[in-house]
Amino acid sequence: MTELLQYVANGLVSGGIYAIVAVGFITIYNVSKVINLAQGEFLMLGGMVTVALIGMNLPYGLAALLAILAVTVIGIIMQKYIIAYVKKANPISLIILTIGISTLIRGIASFIWGKDAFSLAPITTNEPISFGGVTIATQSVWILAAVLIVLLLLWYLMEKTILGKKINACSINPMAARLMGISPTKMSMLAFAISGATGAIAGIVIAPLNVTSYDIGVLLGIKGFSAAILGGLGNPLGAAVAAFLLGIVESLGAGYVSSGMKDAIAFLVLIGMLLVKPSGLFGERSVGKGGL
Amino acid sequence: MKQLLEKWGKGIGIYLALMIVFPFVMPDEYYRSVGIIIGLHAIVTIGLCLLMGLAGQISLGQAAFWGLGAYTSAVLTTKYGLSPFVGLVASAIVPGLFAFLLGRAIAGLQGYYLAMATLAFGYIVQIGITEWEPVTGGASGMISIPQVPFFGDSELSMYYLIWAIVTCVLVFSLNLMHSRVGRAFRAIHKSEIAATSMGVDVRKFKLNAFVVSGMFAGISGGLYAHYMGILDPQPFGLHESIKFLTMVVIGGMTSIWGALIGTVLIGFISEGLILLSEVIPGLQGDVDTIVFGGILVLIVMFMPEGLVPRIRSAYEKAQAKKAKETAAKTQSGERVERKAAT
Repeated sequence: MTELLQYVANGLVSGGIYAIVAVGFITIYNVSKVINLAQGEFLMLGGMVTVALIGMNLPYGLAALLAILAVTVIGIIMQKYIIAYVKKANPISLIILTIGISTLIRGIASFIWGKDAFSLAPITTNEPISFGGVTIATQSVWILAAVLIVLLLLWYLMEKTILGKKINACSINPMAARLMGISPTKMSMLAFAISGATGAIAGIVIAPLNVTSYDIGVLLGIKGFSAAILGGLGNPLGAAVAAFLLGIVESLGAGYVSSGMKDAIAFLVLIGMLLVKPSGLFGERSVGKGGL
Repeated sequence: MKQLLEKWGKGIGIYLALMIVFPFVMPDEYYRSVGIIIGLHAIVTIGLCLLMGLAGQISLGQAAFWGLGAYTSAVLTTKYGLSPFVGLVASAIVPGLFAFLLGRAIAGLQGYYLAMATLAFGYIVQIGITEWEPVTGGASGMISIPQVPFFGDSELSMYYLIWAIVTCVLVFSLNLMHSRVGRAFRAIHKSEIAATSMGVDVRKFKLNAFVVSGMFAGISGGLYAHYMGILDPQPFGLHESIKFLTMVVIGGMTSIWGALIGTVLIGFISEGLILLSEVIPGLQGDVDTIVFGGILVLIVMFMPEGLVPRIRSAYEKAQAKKAKETAAKTQSGERVERKAAT
């Protein structure tokens, strides 16, 4: 029983990270109809820039803050100079484009920082916490806290503020939004900024748990994408729940089947899901006409 | 043969000449092996081009079919002592079968869902190969896979074997494009709904494209295994799939020639980068990923149709302009004559 609980606890932690990535995907998708396959690179950049800045003798907090800022700016640049340029492209071109961006970012990262893995000190201590037989790293608590805060803030932003309403308006009908004086381009840029920032936060909080290197973004990004599709594209709540489920399934698979097969199990679940119910667990939310 | 020449004009002639002459222009074993690898990639990308350009589908897991083909043939010949020819036939059938099953399952998917499904498939296959240690040798791989006995086993004979297969694949695909099947595919690419209403069985056609592209990749993989003699799961992952994608996209998704030319181009760029990294010592990391990523981004931004269709349309435009000019010239000439007559 404790074994099971242990696996579930581990799964919740990785699921939390997938949730941030998945929600990042959907934030962008809802506004601009673009699946940003470079989402995972935001996480990588968050972790790596923090490590690099700490290496320059900046204090932890400042380094993390600057890293989040840097990744946000990268997200904005990406939208402004690349994505906005190909407004009328079809999904296949957009997939190719964002894969290209992700490959490019990864290549540049390997060029700057090399292929070595770096470690980041945990936010508080390395001491694991024991909880009724279940042991988790203190950092995991930080991760879960960060995930919950980010998700809550995003929910608040989207549902309760005028800015969120503007973003929603652009996603439902960009033409009408424009007539109301809302710029869909700006909202799309904002969406990229938001997912850049949240991605960077996720990248920073998971870095201490494992090591961080130039290529961690690939798998994290794809897992997040899986969760977004599992939950139903366009549905942030569904995506978050699906992400936690994915994390737990994966962790159970790693525990009871084979740790090497962990990722394969996650993807098998996904393909199975696509076969049975392509619209995702909670149904694809109709996201209106959206687009740039 | 005459018919072939008439149909595709000079293209196929130039291709054959270049292909046959190359190993003698670069009489270095190393460049021959580069030529072989490019040929192997070309078989995969022509198949991928059929899938992407014609059927309008995307596959981010093409390297998985490649790997399936490689391991099928390698396991059959090394573990069971079968002849490499049997292995090669199996290396077309097994990935074809996988493509059929996967394709049947996901034929209804489009765009992002399809991308995700093929991406996931690619990971599953690579992980599966790595984990199925008793058969595939796991992460450390397999050694001493027999060569294909084809007029001896020199680099040169292998080069011609591979490129003969590339030529077959090329002719098959070009023929397909100009047939009823090709037209149906292009209709699907433009609009699935319109194609369906014209009586095209969209699902079946997409499935066929998927199977054919999987089989091409499998054959290439089988040949790769026998050529290399050793195998490990590393080259059959996402990185390679993206490389194949880059090759198809740079040449132009809708053109078979584009896929071939893109493959050759990327092959030479990779070689150039290897040379460059020897000259510049400070170069670390994956410089080739920077280049491939950059190419993908730039192509989609500035030349979404790809190199070959762009050059072709520019050529046609120039031809049209020339024709117009000569027409205008003769017309004005006529006018002058008429004036002189009056």
